[in-house]
Amino acid sequence: MERPIAYDKLAREERFVRKRARDIAELRMAQGLSPMADLASRESIRERVHGILVGELQAMEGAGRTVCDFPDAPWEFTLDMARQVWDESRHVEIYLGLLEYLGGYVGEFAESTILWRCACAEDAAARVAGVNRGLEGLACDVFNQLIHIARKIGDPVIERAVDFVLADEITHVRMGSRWLNELTKGDPDRRRQAIAFQETIDERFNLGGVRLDGAHEEVGISIAKEARRLAGFTDEEIDKLVRSTQRSPVY
Amino acid sequence: MSDHPLAGIFSVEASARRIRNYRYAEERMMRTLGGWIALTPELAPKLLFGRHVWDCAQHADLWGRRLPELRAPAQQSEPANARFAAFMDLLDGREARHETVERIVGVYRVLKPHLIATYEAHLAAANPVYEPPTRRILDRCLTEERRHVAAATVVLEQLLDSDAKRRASEWQTRLLDALADSGGVTGETPTPLLATEVAGIDGSGDVVSVPAAFDPSVIGADLRPILEEHCRALIARDVARLGEHVAGERRGAVLGVYESVPAARTCEIAAQAKIGAHRLIKIRLVGRSGVSVLQLQWQQRAGIWHVVEAELVRVEPAA
Repeated sequence: MERPIAYDKLAREERFVRKRARDIAELRMAQGLSPMADLASRESIRERVHGILVGELQAMEGAGRTVCDFPDAPWEFTLDMARQVWDESRHVEIYLGLLEYLGGYVGEFAESTILWRCACAEDAAARVAGVNRGLEGLACDVFNQLIHIARKIGDPVIERAVDFVLADEITHVRMGSRWLNELTKGDPDRRRQAIAFQETIDERFNLGGVRLDGAHEEVGISIAKEARRLAGFTDEEIDKLVRSTQRSPVY
Repeated sequence: MSDHPLAGIFSVEASARRIRNYRYAEERMMRTLGGWIALTPELAPKLLFGRHVWDCAQHADLWGRRLPELRAPAQQSEPANARFAAFMDLLDGREARHETVERIVGVYRVLKPHLIATYEAHLAAANPVYEPPTRRILDRCLTEERRHVAAATVVLEQLLDSDAKRRASEWQTRLLDALADSGGVTGETPTPLLATEVAGIDGSGDVVSVPAAFDPSVIGADLRPILEEHCRALIARDVARLGEHVAGERRGAVLGVYESVPAARTCEIAAQAKIGAHRLIKIRLVGRSGVSVLQLQWQQRAGIWHVVEAELVRVEPAA
């Protein structure tokens, strides 16, 4: 079995349409839209849900590759990653259901593979830093906001389903924090590189001012400070993320 | 052998060795399924593999934790022999996009049925007085492996057209030969046991209901006619007609992409994605030389749809 695999081996049914994240954002902005779908209408929530669906798919695929790609990693690390695969597969099922509930269809919006690319880092420590802390941290922000909006518009289906997904994501971030520490124990260079990788992901997913520290209704993606604390981010790390959103270049 | 209740077939050492063999199979299967998820295009099998990675991991973990109770180091895997490792290499080598059927057959029609039969035989033979810790693990693994096979039967059925049935059968035969050559997971059975029948087992909880394939009726009534005309022009290689559908400033680039597309006999609209008011349309062209997949970006200008970008996404040679 090939380990690791090239980015472009990611396999999809024909109904999915792939496009670079940057191209999608530019095309949206050229039409006067925000770089990514907001949560202002049922249609835009549907688009956001579709984006989350493909993100969950890629998260499942990425965790699966981590199980496969690192046979010499500690067994408990592999167990955590295998558990994550199962969790992500349920998340895909949940978001397939929510997409249908919102009147959408699979493939309705373009898929970018930016998350998958992050999941292809060659070092296991970089993967858990980038995916479990960077991207799953982003997922905490996105889901926390979606739950809030669902509560506000009186949609208990979205609120309850996404709340369970958020609980899983918090667990995945914790796993990431644990394994970032354990895999890099006694190897400060490896740790520094893994954290730097996470920070590039955090920076990238600030999306040029879309993610901010602000009220759920007022910003594109609001930073979920409480969920992040539960997930094991320190106040210092959260403050650092908030500061990074204030200096992100325009997408 | 004595029929005394305390008589037993397996020594402590033999039990530990078998458990290392089981752990090897479960661990490799877990890694294989995990790796295949990204390589498998179809959603239903992709999610099936995703469901089962964790179960296999737990089986490997249970076996690994049983080992110190049998005077052996924890969490060690060991293939019964080099031929069983070679069998696993053969099984997990089916990584190509179009080999989903082979992937499912390998794990769910050969390896798991073999594990089920082996676990059943072990359970029947394990002493009920002093081997309950092993028996409980066997019991749990059996329940879950049977459920996996039942679920995969449903998923595989959806993929089996006549060509896939032939491929499935050929691959199964080849793998069974390799398995027999190895003597099975324990290396001790010249004709490896196989339990493919899981009648009465409900695997539906492991099968995710995936929405039906793309429905072209979601394409807007204003775009659909010009898109169909564009498809006909692609088959006819009618450059003049194609050019009329392309935005002026993009004509050279788009027609240049079309020139690289092999001749086709049929054209199918496979997907539509929206980016604001733009539409990304995926077209599947089938010809003698194989399948080409084109992705076209359409934009409405002055009320008329035009292609503004084209990309040849994939070319698959004919089998």
